Amino acid sequence: MSSPIIDRPRNRFIDPKVLIRIQNMELLARTVVEGFVTGLHQSPYLGFSVDFAEYREYQPGDEIRRIDWNVYGRSDKLFVKLYEGETNTRVTLILDMSGSMNYGSTEVKKSDYAKMLASCLTYFAYHQRDAVGVTIFDEGVRANVPASRRTGQLHTLLHMIEKAEPSKGTEFKKPLNFLAETLNRRGIVILISDFYDDPANILAGLKVLKAKGNDIMTFHIMDDFELTFPFEDMAQFEDMETADKLHVIPEYLRTQYLNVIGNHIETLKKGMSAVQIDYTLMNTSKPLDAGLFSYLAARAHTV
Amino acid sequence: MNFLNPFFLFGSALLAVPILIHLVRRERSEVVPFSSLMFLLKIPKRMIRQQMLKNLLLMALRLLLIALLVGTFARPYLMQSATPNAAQSGQGRGFVMLLDNSYSMRYGMNFDQLKSEALSRINALGGNDRMAIVGFNESATVLVNPTTDKGKLRAAVDGLEPSFSGTRFFEAFSIADRLLSQFGGLEKNLIMISDFQRTGWNRSSRENVIERDVKADMKFVGVEKSNNVGIDNVSVEATSFVRTYNGRIVARIHNYNPDKEVSVPVSLTINDREVAKKTVVVPASGTSLAEFAGGFDLDLGFAKGKIKILMDDPLPLDNEYLFGIERREKLNVLILDSGQPRQSFHLKTAFSATSDLPFSVKVGNASAVTVEELGSQDVVIFNDVPRLSDAVRDRMVQARKSGQGQLVVLGPKADLAWWGAVDGFPVKPVRKVDVATAERGKSVVYLTSYDRNHGIFKPFQGTSRLGLNTAQFRNYVELQLNPGAAAIGKFDNGQPALVESSAENRGMLVLASTLDNTWNDLPLKPSFVLFLHQSARYLTGYNAVKSWYTLGEGIPIIGALEGGVVRVVDPSGTQETLGELKSGEQRYYSPATPGFYELRVGRDSRLLAVNPPPSEGNLDKMLPEDLLASVQSTEAETRAAGSFTSDDKLEYARQQMGWWYLLIIALIAGVVELYIANSRTQSVRRIG
Repeated sequence: MSSPIIDRPRNRFIDPKVLIRIQNMELLARTVVEGFVTGLHQSPYLGFSVDFAEYREYQPGDEIRRIDWNVYGRSDKLFVKLYEGETNTRVTLILDMSGSMNYGSTEVKKSDYAKMLASCLTYFAYHQRDAVGVTIFDEGVRANVPASRRTGQLHTLLHMIEKAEPSKGTEFKKPLNFLAETLNRRGIVILISDFYDDPANILAGLKVLKAKGNDIMTFHIMDDFELTFPFEDMAQFEDMETADKLHVIPEYLRTQYLNVIGNHIETLKKGMSAVQIDYTLMNTSKPLDAGLFSYLAARAHTV
Repeated sequence: MNFLNPFFLFGSALLAVPILIHLVRRERSEVVPFSSLMFLLKIPKRMIRQQMLKNLLLMALRLLLIALLVGTFARPYLMQSATPNAAQSGQGRGFVMLLDNSYSMRYGMNFDQLKSEALSRINALGGNDRMAIVGFNESATVLVNPTTDKGKLRAAVDGLEPSFSGTRFFEAFSIADRLLSQFGGLEKNLIMISDFQRTGWNRSSRENVIERDVKADMKFVGVEKSNNVGIDNVSVEATSFVRTYNGRIVARIHNYNPDKEVSVPVSLTINDREVAKKTVVVPASGTSLAEFAGGFDLDLGFAKGKIKILMDDPLPLDNEYLFGIERREKLNVLILDSGQPRQSFHLKTAFSATSDLPFSVKVGNASAVTVEELGSQDVVIFNDVPRLSDAVRDRMVQARKSGQGQLVVLGPKADLAWWGAVDGFPVKPVRKVDVATAERGKSVVYLTSYDRNHGIFKPFQGTSRLGLNTAQFRNYVELQLNPGAAAIGKFDNGQPALVESSAENRGMLVLASTLDNTWNDLPLKPSFVLFLHQSARYLTGYNAVKSWYTLGEGIPIIGALEGGVVRVVDPSGTQETLGELKSGEQRYYSPATPGFYELRVGRDSRLLAVNPPPSEGNLDKMLPEDLLASVQSTEAETRAAGSFTSDDKLEYARQQMGWWYLLIIALIAGVVELYIANSRTQSVRRIG
């Protein structure tokens, strides 16, 4: 994360309010990722070259055709050429499409933002030649496409993300357990959610995935209003998941609400940090790039 | 609590603003979709309650701030009673006893009853009790200042006699209030013993003179239904210029008995000689007139008249009514002119229009008048006379000094230089003026400005019909006033029209235009006759006398022409000297008892008939508690005003710094409000 990229001017990033106008997720992802990568100057494809990466001493079982005979001629030792492509990993995106993700104080809803972020990461990962899979959940697993690098995978995933609409409640236990059972190879698991659940449930599910050797990244998507609670007038607040209503005098509750949500975020951050899970709080009013940086950092760490 | 600027209290309507905002915001409650109530539901109820309390505290602070600012501007101050109000035991009590000795208390045994009630109250006093006694009728007199000496108090009551004056309660209450205030912290008691005549209370004089903390004992002595018949008015012509009185004398008889009519025999006596008698029937609570025709002879001078009811009742004093009639010789008026025909026609006509007028007029030629003839006149009018012989002129000067009135009319024939040289002449005639030639664009001048309070012009005050200012003056004599002379009438160009001689040299009037319709049309105006009569009366010092006066009324005494000492001989024959009066000086005399008084001013002498106030015969009473309620502060009034005058209030409010304390508290409340409101705002910190 100590990349010089962070210090680059922010205004080159595209505002989410602009991105929301791009309906096609593939186009959107390309716009963001290409723009993002172009900004990386000297080493645009840093980290995912198909070129030679390193030598490794030959071991029985290695294919004979990978032996670099030139080296053998000079050193009289057998070395095998290793390429980047062989360091590729499996990326599984878990996208929360519960009812609470439908909230947005501006035209950019949390679900829109999450979908944009998921698309970009999918696109990014796919072009790093990672196998990419997506799981969409609410109370249970709504859709699941396992990670793969087959042709057409990107299109399938982006289409699935594009069509996903938020509904129902949030339940972390079921989808995370499901993934723990189905992911039988190590890889990167990216969880995009507003985390409207008990932190203990969330962390319990993530710990299982982590225990199986996965690198886990979480993106906590929050609307600016959820973080600042700037409401003034007394109103009935309606829960978008349960449709429950609550009579609220914002000026009475604001301080306490901000304390409670602050604690929630802090608990998540600390809990995840304790088990080496990357946590990034994303404000839907801010550009997506922070998410991409987080991913890059994690990807580098994994490889 | 009182306020110096109570109008600012209307500002307290602003208190409604925060409350209304609070209520309006409560009412508006729309549905807002929110991602999840999960975190809102986690907020402890206690915290919400605290927040609500905090907000209510803020609102209360704001309300307090407004209320304090309103209070500050209204300038509140506290009233404290000027005297300690707690009666201190062991120090006795303070009493003021008001005893009615008005003339109506002569009714029956009323006054004896009053004395016995007063004595019983004195006897009931404790050893430390202090009492003051006030006798009151038309006025109030302190008979005994606050004392514990019962003997002194009893003596004062024993020595009290009923007066002949009317009743005025207010005077008594005013004095009582002053005396009661001397009792300081003692228990204050007011005793009033009276027949509570309704006529003694003037409703318009209502004022709270008795403090709320004064205990009142209002004792009525008298009769519920009066059986009194009295004369309350006599109408008579006070002056007769003929020997046989031919006027009418009318007496109004009042029956105060509410139940039965009475047949009242009434007699008329002149100089103690009964000249007529008749009986009139007077209905219950009503009046009847007893009318007497004249026909009796009068000698020159004053005659004592009396109308008397020839029957007994409990209040005999109002059964008689005295009056005076003066028989006078007519005033001799001599008109001197230059012998021109019709020169004095209008003048003579004005003075002899009817035989009733108090003037005997004669016209003569100035050149033919003798010194003796001139000296015997009351008034001489020199009607545009060129000049007089030296002997007549000297007599003229002398006669004026001995009281003769003179009116000099300057016209076309008058020798201005000669008249200007006459000794004591108040003006210097300058020239004869023809207005048409002297003043551009004007042909006449008007007598527009005159001293309306002067004796001559007083009758012109109330009516425009008799206005002098309609007369047109084509010519006049320009006059230059000598020192001391006064122009009592002026033309509209500012020139003097009528000049009166100085006070030291009084008795002469100079008119700057003629009275014969040559220089002006004044003789053709309705005001002409009145003007001349008034001038003649004024010049002789003639004053129509009043036929009777009422006790309590001030009788005017005017100094004679040459001044002199004033002496009064009362009905008992006792002579009293009232000091010296200069000529024209006026003084008032108030007799104490009814009857005939002789008033001597210098050489003049006149008779005065004085009757007791007729209203005292009416014994209708008012409820003592009503009277008390009219003069005693109510509880609310005491609270509102205390015993402070408006100046006291202002001073008191200035001394009290209550508004300043309120302002400081308001500032503190404002600071606290700012602190609480700011701390709340800062706590809404942004997360993320």
